[in-house]
Amino acid sequence: MSGNVVENLIEELTRLPGIGKKTAQRLAFFIMGMPDKDALSMADAIITLKQKARFCRQCFNITEDELCSICRNSSRDRSKICVIEEPSNLIVIENTKIFNGLYHVLLGALSPIDGITPERLKIEELIKRVKAGGVSEVIIATNPNTKGETTAQYLSQVLKPLGVKLSRIAYGLPIGGDIEFADEVTLSKALEGRNEM
Amino acid sequence: MQTRTEGIVLRSQKYGEADLIVTYLTSDKGIIRAFAKSPRKTKSRFGSSLEPLTHTRISLWGKEHSSMPKITQSDIINSFHQIRENYNDFVSLSKLSEIVLSLTPAEIPSKQIFSFFLNILHFITSSEEDQKDAQHLIAMVRLLATIGYAPRLSGCGKCGAEESYDFYPDSGTTLCAKCASTPLSPAKPFIRINNKVIHFYTHSIEWPINKSNRLKPNDQTLLELSGVLDRHLSHLLSKKLRSSEFIAGACQ
Repeated sequence: MSGNVVENLIEELTRLPGIGKKTAQRLAFFIMGMPDKDALSMADAIITLKQKARFCRQCFNITEDELCSICRNSSRDRSKICVIEEPSNLIVIENTKIFNGLYHVLLGALSPIDGITPERLKIEELIKRVKAGGVSEVIIATNPNTKGETTAQYLSQVLKPLGVKLSRIAYGLPIGGDIEFADEVTLSKALEGRNEM
Repeated sequence: MQTRTEGIVLRSQKYGEADLIVTYLTSDKGIIRAFAKSPRKTKSRFGSSLEPLTHTRISLWGKEHSSMPKITQSDIINSFHQIRENYNDFVSLSKLSEIVLSLTPAEIPSKQIFSFFLNILHFITSSEEDQKDAQHLIAMVRLLATIGYAPRLSGCGKCGAEESYDFYPDSGTTLCAKCASTPLSPAKPFIRINNKVIHFYTHSIEWPINKSNRLKPNDQTLLELSGVLDRHLSHLLSKKLRSSEFIAGACQ
């Protein structure tokens, strides 16, 4: 019986991204060795997340309330909207502490070959936000890959006629890397987007 | 076993946390799928070499006849990033990629299809902006002809009668009134095709691709031929192409 309990947990943990059978085994035995209070707190956090988490009515970030903490925060610059693909991108941008505007999460990126059309993303909702007024700049921070670029170009087509300033996050080399290992497209983009010193 | 080949990325699909499954059209192995470990991380050595439509030289590691070898090295020969940075070009080329993926068998080498697809990438990259719509359609027509699935749009496909302007998707050809009407079967759906569409289609296939910029079809001709080809493909595949639905949705 006890064997089944451990096996069940290992089986469940292998569903997580990047977790194989061996890592799942290690995690399962680590959880078994944890104090009851800590293990139950972890389980409770998962249950609470699944029961209470939903998308923000305005920006589609994950929240417990109707509006997320960023949309509710009156000190944020409401004239700037940063468009991102997934809620996980928001956390990374917030960690930079550079951007003080609002966000709009598309919940995906356009992909013709996968049938991901504009209607399947939160693009119509973004257009409505911009049309509602008060927005002076939309920063497109979709991923620097083909799907992200296609999405950025589509957004540019539908938002430009609304008279709002559009900008795209810069392409370039990752800090800490060596130029000799960069591919030609990344390096050419870095050269094109160079800054005057 | 380590193998090396040249390929064009037709599709990249996210897998797991930061991995990709990449589908290539290769010169000597046909369509193959391969696994890349962590290319989505910003400091990945793969860089942009696994992005769709990139022409690369790749090294693969896996057992002989492995269905999913691992990509160990990927060097860009031509990135074709200009296509990815042009929305209409990329959407149109996605449709061609989907046609190749849907209508050519996996792991059957065809140097002809590989060379043709590569030529199409060069052709679209060098096309003038005002001729792009026609060039996209010419590329699609020629691709269908290269892989052997081009519909017949001139003359009757059954009896060879010269005059025939109704295309029957069920038959993949135009048919004359006599051949189309069989007393025992119900009337089949057809599309009436005008002469300009037939001329443009015929010249698209017959003219050398580098001279196709001399073809100047009007918007109506492009729209009609595009509709005929979509119906033909839907019948062949028993479903609509995802990229066709994408284009239709984006136009609304």
